[in-house]
Amino acid sequence: MNQSYTVTAVALVVLATVLVGGFGLRISRTTSDFYVASRTVGPGLNAAAISGEYLSAASFLGVAGLVLLHGPDMLWYPVGYTAGYLVLLVFVAAPLRRSGAYTLPDFAEGRLESRAVRRLVSVFVAGAGWLYLVPQLQGAGLTLAILTGAPDWFGGVLVALVVVVAVAAGGMRSITFVQAFQYWLKLTALLVPALFLLLAWQGDGRPRVDLDLASAVAGRADHPLYATYGLIVATFLGTMGLPHVVVRFYTSPNGRAARRTTLFVLALIGAFYLLPPVYGALGRLYVPELPYGTNADAAVLLLPERAIGGLGGALLGALVAGGAFAAFLSTASGLTMAVAGVLTQDVLPSRGVRHFRLATPLAMAVPLGGSLLITGMPVADSVGMAFAVSASSFCPLLVLGIWWRRLTPPGAIAGLLLGGGLSFAATVITVSGAVRSGWPHALLAWPAVWSVPVGFLAMILVSLATRGRIPPGTNAAMARFHLPEALMPSGKGGVR
Amino acid sequence: MSGAALAVLIVLGPLLLAGGFLLGRRTARPERTSDVGTPVEHATFETLHTASLATPPLRAGLTEESARKAARRLRSLLGTDALCLTDRERVLAWDGLGEHHGKHVMDHVQGLLGSGRYTAFASGCGDLDCPLRWGVAAPLTVDHRVLGTLVAYAPRESAVLARAAGEVARWVSVQLELAELDRSRTRLIEAEIKALRAQISPHFIFNSLAAIASFVRTDPERARELLLEFADFTRYSFRRHGDFTTLADELHSIDQYLALVRARFGERLSVTLQVAPEVLPVAMPFLCLQPLVENAVKHGLEGAVTTSRITISALDAGAEAEVVIEDDGVGMEPDRLRRILRGEGGASTGIGLLNVDERLRQVYGDEYGLVIETGVDAGMKITVRIPKYRAGVHGT
Amino acid sequence: MTGESRQPAPRREVVTGEPRRVRPLPRYRAQAEIEEQTALGDAYVRSLMRGQLRAGLTAFAVLALVVGTLPLAFAALRDATAVWVVLGFAAYPLLTLLAWWYVRRAERNERDFARLVKGRPVP
Repeated sequence: MNQSYTVTAVALVVLATVLVGGFGLRISRTTSDFYVASRTVGPGLNAAAISGEYLSAASFLGVAGLVLLHGPDMLWYPVGYTAGYLVLLVFVAAPLRRSGAYTLPDFAEGRLESRAVRRLVSVFVAGAGWLYLVPQLQGAGLTLAILTGAPDWFGGVLVALVVVVAVAAGGMRSITFVQAFQYWLKLTALLVPALFLLLAWQGDGRPRVDLDLASAVAGRADHPLYATYGLIVATFLGTMGLPHVVVRFYTSPNGRAARRTTLFVLALIGAFYLLPPVYGALGRLYVPELPYGTNADAAVLLLPERAIGGLGGALLGALVAGGAFAAFLSTASGLTMAVAGVLTQDVLPSRGVRHFRLATPLAMAVPLGGSLLITGMPVADSVGMAFAVSASSFCPLLVLGIWWRRLTPPGAIAGLLLGGGLSFAATVITVSGAVRSGWPHALLAWPAVWSVPVGFLAMILVSLATRGRIPPGTNAAMARFHLPEALMPSGKGGVR
Repeated sequence: MSGAALAVLIVLGPLLLAGGFLLGRRTARPERTSDVGTPVEHATFETLHTASLATPPLRAGLTEESARKAARRLRSLLGTDALCLTDRERVLAWDGLGEHHGKHVMDHVQGLLGSGRYTAFASGCGDLDCPLRWGVAAPLTVDHRVLGTLVAYAPRESAVLARAAGEVARWVSVQLELAELDRSRTRLIEAEIKALRAQISPHFIFNSLAAIASFVRTDPERARELLLEFADFTRYSFRRHGDFTTLADELHSIDQYLALVRARFGERLSVTLQVAPEVLPVAMPFLCLQPLVENAVKHGLEGAVTTSRITISALDAGAEAEVVIEDDGVGMEPDRLRRILRGEGGASTGIGLLNVDERLRQVYGDEYGLVIETGVDAGMKITVRIPKYRAGVHGT
Repeated sequence: MTGESRQPAPRREVVTGEPRRVRPLPRYRAQAEIEEQTALGDAYVRSLMRGQLRAGLTAFAVLALVVGTLPLAFAALRDATAVWVVLGFAAYPLLTLLAWWYVRRAERNERDFARLVKGRPVP
């Protein structure tokens, strides 16, 4: 394994990220050619940024690894990650933008006029963010360990450090340009090696790829059909609540643009997800010993070297490694920003920019500790749990908050605690390894199937039981969520 | 809500005062009625009259002059040998005997200024003939802030005087609160007029139109564009509905304003705008940045320098947007700026800054006031932080 | 900012206003806004919401129906190639198509609504 190429590629990614960030910041103009209206972030750019932040280590490494190991059923993961945006689009996108909320706690407070709900949502945002950060750090550790022989913990600590320093120093803000750049980098880092891989496969006389269902090893769940449904529910409904996804919608100038942005996102990540299956399939051919090794997530990283070899293989391998690192950095920084923001606003005592800097290490320390403690869990699986928690807590809150006038603060609290709390507890039990087989394990490892209905039901029933607590501003909020901006009474309809 | 409480206090204050005296006399003497008034009733009338005489000076706020006028009335109200009014730093007025005690007063009330709690003290006077052996001090508060103190002296300890001084101090506080209200109302009207005039003063209209006119023959296309900018700008400034706007609209209006200013001053003014597109949708109070930019333009062009440079940046800072407006003009004496921000700068100077500062604090809380770095001939840098979301603040 | 021109003088002091102890208005709602909203008509808002919800539910129902039956179909077929083709490739264009249909429908709803309310289309 040629380490110097990999190290160079990883260093280049870090450098490029910082440079593009600096460039984006410095774009300035004199007034003569400055027109605010034309400079708002368009749907295309914003969509690339959202996709760049969204495509995490789970997408980059995890999907191919799972497909390689467990067969095509695992392709439900990328389909779910994509379809989650469709659900977000049809129920949430435009109203969420029109609500003016920057974070989920903002939305909860604005809609339900309750500080208590706001605080509870903040706790869940931090929890879901942390759950999602753990696999990012683990993935980074794995990447560096495989490619350079560094110790397992090193990559995670490195990413954590880079992100904390960059976020705290204000260098790697959620700047649209950086994230959009990350999308195209990740796409390139998978697409170019994939083309070469297909050429090599062609050159080898197109050997038959074993496409069978989980032929390599036995299925990973006792009840695969249930697990599939659990996965579908979690990813389809969980995307809308992920903290780093929500904040990006604020950048859209209006609800209509938010909708169009989501459509673009769907197309962009759909295009990206055409690639991991290629790696999964070819991996079965070229790295067949991997499934019996420790971690299938490494397949994407090893494939170029095994299938192509030589200098070309090493260079392509370095490109993939760079892309993987871009995935860790962008998702981890987006999540850290979101979690640190919530910690500063709602958890730590005082407010202000300085406190944000203090909150950043805290936002990163917890998942870093988690990633060092918990090992041996596939990246895509632990991401799945973050989705399950999000689907059982934020999905009911958003969908009912936007479409149902009778939602009350006590109802929201009950739903969050029951749906989100139970799925969170299930996650903790699964990770602790207390239950390892049979239906109990399946129910706890894929909780969304039952925890999402529990969340919705609790919210609806308790709201109906506390009719007197419907917030007085509900009608005004509904009008704001759903009316096109140009029709809003205080809007700027007449200006242009 | 606080307005209602104030009204209740205004009504109840004198009544309480009078009622207290009435009750005191009643319990002291057996009940008697008379068509022309009992001594108790006469005492009450006298008290009310004296109190009403002290009102006008107090309504002007707590200054040396108002304190001097009020102290006389207040002393006769309390019937003490000496009475003293202070603000937070010094003695404002001394009425009655023993003015030489004045230099110790601030030492006695030091604790009170911090805690806001009534204190009593022995005067410790070296002169044995001096009748002022004992004093009681009560706080004068406005909006829970201790603005100053009222100190009454007596030959010996007196619970009655302590109680009376407390009541009078509270009554004075209400008057001062009222004065504050008056002042902020005036300031509001001034600010409103100024806010409109700042954009659209006849001066500005005249200059803009003159500048546009000068282009009509030489560069008709530019004249046409400027005229459109002018129309757009005035429309935005005169907008009457909604208290909030978006950063994008505010910056757009500033852009138009600057185009008009530059039509007049040309190369003397160079402006750099640096805007992160992420913060453009941020909702904010209407016309909060425009006065600051206007301020920068004025400071920049005021000096003898040939050109002036203004930088306006709006950056993304997580859950907030940070807007910085910097000029390299004449700057300002920091103490003068402090006075302006305290609302003591006089009617015409810097009312724009004060107005913006107050509105930001009103909407977002005290930690979101303006932060200004300046010095004489050191230019000025104004930083505004705007939260991306605040319940009730919606720009569109 | 740096360069040939004069450097800003260094003697600057930071000045802020004194704390006013004003409580921020936590639920500041301009009364006029609410009034204007009701004047615009709660009924109108409700009808728009119904239209948008119907569009959203239609798209969601199509998605749920297809996705809900697919795992069962796969389990019954036990044909690995079909799974690869459907999940690895065909799903994404279909999702995008469905999203595109919804966006068009939702925007048309808004346009129609604007015409209904104001007699002119939303720009």
